[in-house]
Amino acid sequence: MNAPIRSTWIAIFGILFLTAFILNGCKKEDPAPPTPPDFGGISIQFNHVFNGIPLVLDSLAWSDDFGNEFEVNELQYFISDVRLHLHGGGAYQIGSSDGIHYVDARIPASHQWYPGDQIPSATYDSVSFTFGLSAVKNLSNRFPDPPERDMFWPELLGGGYHYMKLNTKWKNDSVPELRPFMMHLGIGQIYDLNKPDSIIGFVQNFFFVKLDSSAFTIEAGKQKALVITMHLDRWFDGPPNAFNLAILPQGIMQNQPLMHEVCLNGRGVFTCQLPTAN
Amino acid sequence: MNRITLYIIIFLALFSCKKSDPPVSSYQPTPYQIVIPFRFPTQLNIPDDNPMTVEGIELGRMLFYDGRISGSAHPDSMMTCATCHLQSRSFECGIDHPKYTGGHPFGVTGIPTPHYMMPMINLVWTHTGYLWNGKIYPDNPAPGIRHLEDLVWMAIIAPHEMNSDTNKAKILIQSISGYPEMFQKAFGSSTVTVRNMGKAIAQFVRTLISADSKFDSYLKGEVQLMPNELNGYVLFMTEQGGDCFHCHGGEGNPLFTTNLFYNNGKDSVFTDPRDRYQVSGDPSDIGAYKAPTLRNLIFTAPYMHDGRFKTIDEVIDFYSSGLVWSPYVNPLMHHISSGGNQLTPAKKADLKAFLLTLTDSSFVNNPAFGMPDLP
Repeated sequence: MNAPIRSTWIAIFGILFLTAFILNGCKKEDPAPPTPPDFGGISIQFNHVFNGIPLVLDSLAWSDDFGNEFEVNELQYFISDVRLHLHGGGAYQIGSSDGIHYVDARIPASHQWYPGDQIPSATYDSVSFTFGLSAVKNLSNRFPDPPERDMFWPELLGGGYHYMKLNTKWKNDSVPELRPFMMHLGIGQIYDLNKPDSIIGFVQNFFFVKLDSSAFTIEAGKQKALVITMHLDRWFDGPPNAFNLAILPQGIMQNQPLMHEVCLNGRGVFTCQLPTAN
Repeated sequence: MNRITLYIIIFLALFSCKKSDPPVSSYQPTPYQIVIPFRFPTQLNIPDDNPMTVEGIELGRMLFYDGRISGSAHPDSMMTCATCHLQSRSFECGIDHPKYTGGHPFGVTGIPTPHYMMPMINLVWTHTGYLWNGKIYPDNPAPGIRHLEDLVWMAIIAPHEMNSDTNKAKILIQSISGYPEMFQKAFGSSTVTVRNMGKAIAQFVRTLISADSKFDSYLKGEVQLMPNELNGYVLFMTEQGGDCFHCHGGEGNPLFTTNLFYNNGKDSVFTDPRDRYQVSGDPSDIGAYKAPTLRNLIFTAPYMHDGRFKTIDEVIDFYSSGLVWSPYVNPLMHHISSGGNQLTPAKKADLKAFLLTLTDSSFVNNPAFGMPDLP
C-alpha cells in the first residue's frame, strides 16, 4: 500500500473512530432503577372539646366547678412553627406561609390543615408548635384579608394579631342573665402605675407547646393524619389556674397579669392523637 | 405545463397556506384595574362573569343616574338608583333629603323601604352578603339573589322602590339612542338585557371606593391627628375604652367594618322579619345586623338598620349607656351588664372627633362618581 492510500485509510478510520467516540459519549445513561421517594405527607385535624365532649357553639352546655354555666360563641386562634420531632432527636418544621395556621370554630375548612407532602419519611414521636405567633412572625398588617385580618391586635396595645379570641357568655344562680366574657390573648402591656393610661412596655405572651404522642411514621409517598385537640375547659379550669368567671372582668386583653395566668393554662390545653384508623 | 395549470398551482400556493385574519369585532372592552388603597384588603369580590371594564363602568354610571331604568319616562314615576343614593351623602340618602324625610326612603308607591339605607361604599370588599342581613350571597339557594348585580332587578320590581317590571325597563332603555351602542361596547351585544343592566351598574358601584380621609393620611404618615382625635382613637381601639374595633376595624382593617353580623344590644324584643336570623337560621343571629362601615359617618345619618339614631352623638350615647340586655347580645358587647362603656362627656367628644377623621370629602366630590350626561 502506497503512502497516499495509507493516509487515506488512516483518515477514514480516524473519522469513524472519532464519530463512534462522540456518539458513545453522548449516549444517554440507562435510567437508574426507580427509588421510592423520601417524602410523605401529613394532614392535621383540629378538634375542640369541652370536658371531653365535642364543642357545640352557642349552646349553654358547659359548667365549671364554681357553679357557672356558660356557652362558647366564638373560638378563633393561630398556631405557628409546627414541628415534628424525630424519634432520637432533631425536628422538622412543616407548613408553608411561615408555618402559620388559623383555626375558626365557625369555619369547618380551617379545622383541616394540609401542610404539604414534603415531610421527610421517618419515625417521629412528638409535635410542637407556637400558640399564637412568635414575636418575629407577629407582624402588623401581614394579613390584609379576612378572616385572619379580623384578628388584628391594636398597634397601641402591642400590634400584630390576637393569638386567640374565645368569646363566651355565662350565668349562675346569682346572675341569671347571660353575661359576656372575652378571653382574648395577644401581646400584653405594662402600664405605668402612676399613669394608668400610659403603656411603658410590652410582653410577648406566645408560648411553646410540645405534645407527646404515640410514635408515628411518615412513609414515603403516603399521607399521615394527626389530630390535635383543644380541651377548652382547661383554659378556665387549669391546671394551674382555675378562674371563676363571676369574679373576672369581662375582658382581659388589657390585663397582663390575667393574660399571663391564662397562658399558663394554655400550655396544657392541647393533646395530640393518631386517628384510630390511621 | 400549460398556463392554466400554472395559474392554479400559484393560486393554491398563495391561498391554501395563508392564515385567515381574525374576524373583526367591535367588542373590545378595555379592562379596568382597581387600585387597592393603602392597607386595604387584596381580595376583591368581582364575579368571574362580570369583569370590570371601562365601558361597563361608564354604562353603569349612566344607568345608575338614569330614571328611565324604572321603565317609565314620566317624571312622576321615574326613579333611579341615584334618587336615594346621593353622592353628597356617601351614596346614602341622608337625613336631610328633601323628599325622604328623616332619611327613610320610599318607593314610587309610597311604601317605605323595610330598612334604612346602608353605606354603599367599598362594596368590592364585601364577601359576606349584601344588605343589613346579608341576604344577597353567592350560596343563596334562591337563584337570582346572589350577587351585587341582582340588586338591580330587585330594585326595579320592588314595590318599595321602582315598582316596575324588568321588561318595561329594558324595552325603554333599548329605545333610547346611544344605549344600544354602549351595551355593544360593554358586553358585545346591543340588545339590552336586565342582566347586563345589573352587571353594568354593579361594575360602577364597585368603583365607589372611599379611602382618602384624614385617618388614611395619618396611617400613611402624611398628617398628624389632633390630640382630641388621638384620644378618641385610643378609645376606639381599646377594650377598656370604647372597644369599637372588634366589630368596626381600625388600622388593621381600614374598611372600618368586619362586614360581619352582630346583635349590638339595641332591643330586647325582636320582631323584624329581615334580621340576620331570617337568613342564617341560627338563633344566635336573632336581632343581628351587619356592622356598617364608619367611613363618612358625617354624611350618612340616620344610623342603625331602623334609623333610630339621628346623630353621631346619639350613637355614642347609646354605646355608652343605652345597651339593652337580651340572650342574643353578641359577647363582644361586653359592657352590657353596665349598660355600656360609660364614657364621660369628654371621652365622648374625643371619640366623635376621631370618627370625623374618617370623613372623605374628596369621595363625595369626585366627578367620576357624579351625574353624567345621559343619552
